[in-house]
Amino acid sequence: MTPLVEIKDLKKYHPLRQGYIFSKRRGEVRAVDGVSFSISEGETLGLVGESGCGKSTLGRTILRLEEPDSGSIVFRSEDITHIKAKDMKWWRKEAQMVFQDPKNSLDPRMTVGNSIEEALIIHDMGDQKKRERRVKELMIKVGLEPDLMARYPHELSGGQQQRIGIARALAVNPKLIVADEPVSALDVSVQAQILNLLADLKKELGLSYLFIAHNLWVIRYISDRVAIMYLGKIVELADKKELFRSPLHPYTEALLSALPGKKDRIILKGEVPSPVDPPSGCRFHPRCPRRFDRCEREEPELKDICKGHFVMCHLY
Amino acid sequence: MRLAAYYWERTKRQRPAMAGLAFIIFLIILAVSGPFFTVSPTQVNFDEKNIPPPGFTLEQSIYNASSGGFVTTVQRGTWEHPLGTDGMGRDMLAMLISGARVSLLVGLLATGIAIIIGALIGITSAYFGGAMDSVLMRATDIFMTFPFLLLLILIVYLFGSSLTLIIMAIGLTGWTGTARLVRSETLSLRTREFIMASKALGASHLRIIFYHLLPNTLSSIIVLATLSIPGAILAEAALSFIGLGDPQVASWGNILNAGQGSLQTAWWVAVEPGMMLFFTVLAFNFMGEGMREAFEPGGD
Amino acid sequence: MDSENGDKAILSVSGLRTYFFTKNGTVKAVDDISFDLRKGEILCIVGESGSGKTVTALSLLRLIEPPGRIVEGKIMFEEKNLLDIPISEMQKIRGNRIAMIFQDPHSSLNPVLTIGEQITEAMTAHRNLAKSEAKAQTIELLRLVEIPEPERRFHEYPHQFSGGMKQRVMVAMALACEPSVLIADEPTTALDLTIQAQILDLFMELRKKFSMSIIYITHDLGVVSELADRIAVMYGGRIMEKGRRDDVLKNPLHPYTRGLIDCLLSESEKLASIPGTIPNLIDLPEGCIFHPRCISAMDICRTERPGSSKIETEHYVYCFRYGGR
Repeated sequence: MTPLVEIKDLKKYHPLRQGYIFSKRRGEVRAVDGVSFSISEGETLGLVGESGCGKSTLGRTILRLEEPDSGSIVFRSEDITHIKAKDMKWWRKEAQMVFQDPKNSLDPRMTVGNSIEEALIIHDMGDQKKRERRVKELMIKVGLEPDLMARYPHELSGGQQQRIGIARALAVNPKLIVADEPVSALDVSVQAQILNLLADLKKELGLSYLFIAHNLWVIRYISDRVAIMYLGKIVELADKKELFRSPLHPYTEALLSALPGKKDRIILKGEVPSPVDPPSGCRFHPRCPRRFDRCEREEPELKDICKGHFVMCHLY
Repeated sequence: MRLAAYYWERTKRQRPAMAGLAFIIFLIILAVSGPFFTVSPTQVNFDEKNIPPPGFTLEQSIYNASSGGFVTTVQRGTWEHPLGTDGMGRDMLAMLISGARVSLLVGLLATGIAIIIGALIGITSAYFGGAMDSVLMRATDIFMTFPFLLLLILIVYLFGSSLTLIIMAIGLTGWTGTARLVRSETLSLRTREFIMASKALGASHLRIIFYHLLPNTLSSIIVLATLSIPGAILAEAALSFIGLGDPQVASWGNILNAGQGSLQTAWWVAVEPGMMLFFTVLAFNFMGEGMREAFEPGGD
Repeated sequence: MDSENGDKAILSVSGLRTYFFTKNGTVKAVDDISFDLRKGEILCIVGESGSGKTVTALSLLRLIEPPGRIVEGKIMFEEKNLLDIPISEMQKIRGNRIAMIFQDPHSSLNPVLTIGEQITEAMTAHRNLAKSEAKAQTIELLRLVEIPEPERRFHEYPHQFSGGMKQRVMVAMALACEPSVLIADEPTTALDLTIQAQILDLFMELRKKFSMSIIYITHDLGVVSELADRIAVMYGGRIMEKGRRDDVLKNPLHPYTRGLIDCLLSESEKLASIPGTIPNLIDLPEGCIFHPRCISAMDICRTERPGSSKIETEHYVYCFRYGGR
């Protein structure tokens, strides 16, 4: 299958500055530090990691909401790594985003209908009448009564707000959607509704998702392939079934052992080190229960172990 | 618009704010309609000087040339001059209404200028950040350190004292507070996901500023504006009081200035504009505070 | 005071109602709930937002602020009804006999005092201790909650601690007076996955070492399956089902419990989901509050509130499908 979007060695460092006029660069947060993967048409890639591992930055950098420092992002053989502001509108129509906090991602002073319509106005899609029809259509598509379009965000429940967020992203007919923890702010019983909606929309509209989450059951449900991220790097990437059946990286093993129903839980010692000053060698080695000498000295590469099961670990 | 109705409902519950609003509306009606029913505020008539308001009397010793001695006359207030007259026989009511016009004009226009400048600088500073923010905010800091009234006096001294100039001067010096407030509000809004969502949709900077940031800071801007109107009014009054106001118009400050000399005798000339200033400032403050309460998020 | 199956309960709640009297109406945050906590067990109260689980916890310590009020009920602890004793006596119980840990460790610590000072303060609030003794015990506590280098960390400030370490400090502080009941309100929700695992491990360790009784409040069924001895499932201020962990998780009876578990554990093509949204607590539906979302609602569910039905030892469900009268 041809990849819809292909990311190669993407890096995004956030500089740490001190002072405002005579600012000094005091090091940098290596939020995304050399990440490569691709997403095929109609595929959902689940991206799992703990807070601060860089998964949100990665999502935003791919959408060019943040400027990449190096590497490349190629969408259907079009390099969008450095496209200029005037070509950006095209890219905004191809790739959209669904946010974590549905309440926060809607302008509190705009009716939800206007929030969806804004996408259509920005991209000059139809006159007032056509836009209104389209907004109604989108609301029905995400399972909402079109009458709700005159409401303000605070008058809707969290689940309804997130449906509006999804409708807004769909308004421009994108191919790729980066969903950044789209259900983690919702209640469990509502999470399932939104996940089902996202899965249905994907089938119906042929979308591809980069689905970012820290919750493994969400990832297991929605993804086709899964990438595990730790401290700015992808440490394991495989087909979902393969990954959940036989995780290879010790970090993945520990994460998966926390799923309900699993017996021997692996409890990792220590905490995630700072991405300002990541450990030498393998970034996971200070917490790894299976580390050996080489891990401390030498950084492993992301290797294809068998048929698309990639892992970054000296054990393999 | 339903949102505006909602805030109106909540503002309505604030009693002092409503009293303030009533007074301000009364003042506006008076200022606009005044010229139609009062005599000219500049009409001098020495025969009718220092007439007290009805119900009050003023004893005056007047040198009578024909009899060659002092005669004590008693001035009684008449309904012809419901608020009395000043030392030059000008009608106080007419002057106060003219003063109301001046004060409202100064208050609204100067604050308007200040708010627009402040909001633009604040939003630009916070939204673009970085060097832009540093430069603009340092400029604001420097501007803030100037003693405000001294600066005003200097401007008026250098360029003369027309009302237009005074309004401009107050507006151009009064924006720093707004700039700071709008900047801090924008800073916290900027990180909200709906701004990011707009960016992701491809919205331009101008669109984000005018469709998202500005409407979301508007409630605090309105509150701040209402609360800074009294400052502008008082600044004009202060300038006029020390004799740097526009001599062509009767403003409360001018009258106050003229009346202070005869406080012993014709007390109403100073007291009346003083009361007007006091109540006007109070009304705007009550209203601003009430709106601040009403706009408080989640105050239900 | 015997609990439902004859075992001694250390804390026994019956008929508790906590309402909030707001301008817009009465919020029945907790509406007639009963449960027991036994010595050395972990009771998990599971619920989504607005289920009343946090209000339940605060009610146990009588920490409900106006416009909220505990309207009715009994909370029996050490032979006393906590709702009858004077507030001065209640203050002696808070933190001393019953301690509480909150969700957000960042805002629960005072940023201008050292960790050591804060724990020592908690310790000496209820106990008469010499300063040196208190310090020694504090360091012992820090070691107990597995904070490395406790002697050095004693003198550090909260901002020098990571989120997981802060939560450990909160646990240490809660343990300072050796309480017999520990209430933990979503203590791991704000933490990362791997850190969450560490803290859960710590709780299980504490229970084993001191046979502490813990009420653990969470929305995360994964945590529950790991930690709980018994479970109470709350929805809209009421308990829907309660029982031993395996009874509830492996054999969920209430349609809501089943829905929740299906949401989480189904591996089928389509996720099972519960239709609709959580009810507005001011305007609760008549009858069983779950009926508008219930796939197996009957006529009676719309008009009457179900009572508890005992399914087997300790497994109770509030649903007309199983009697409920």
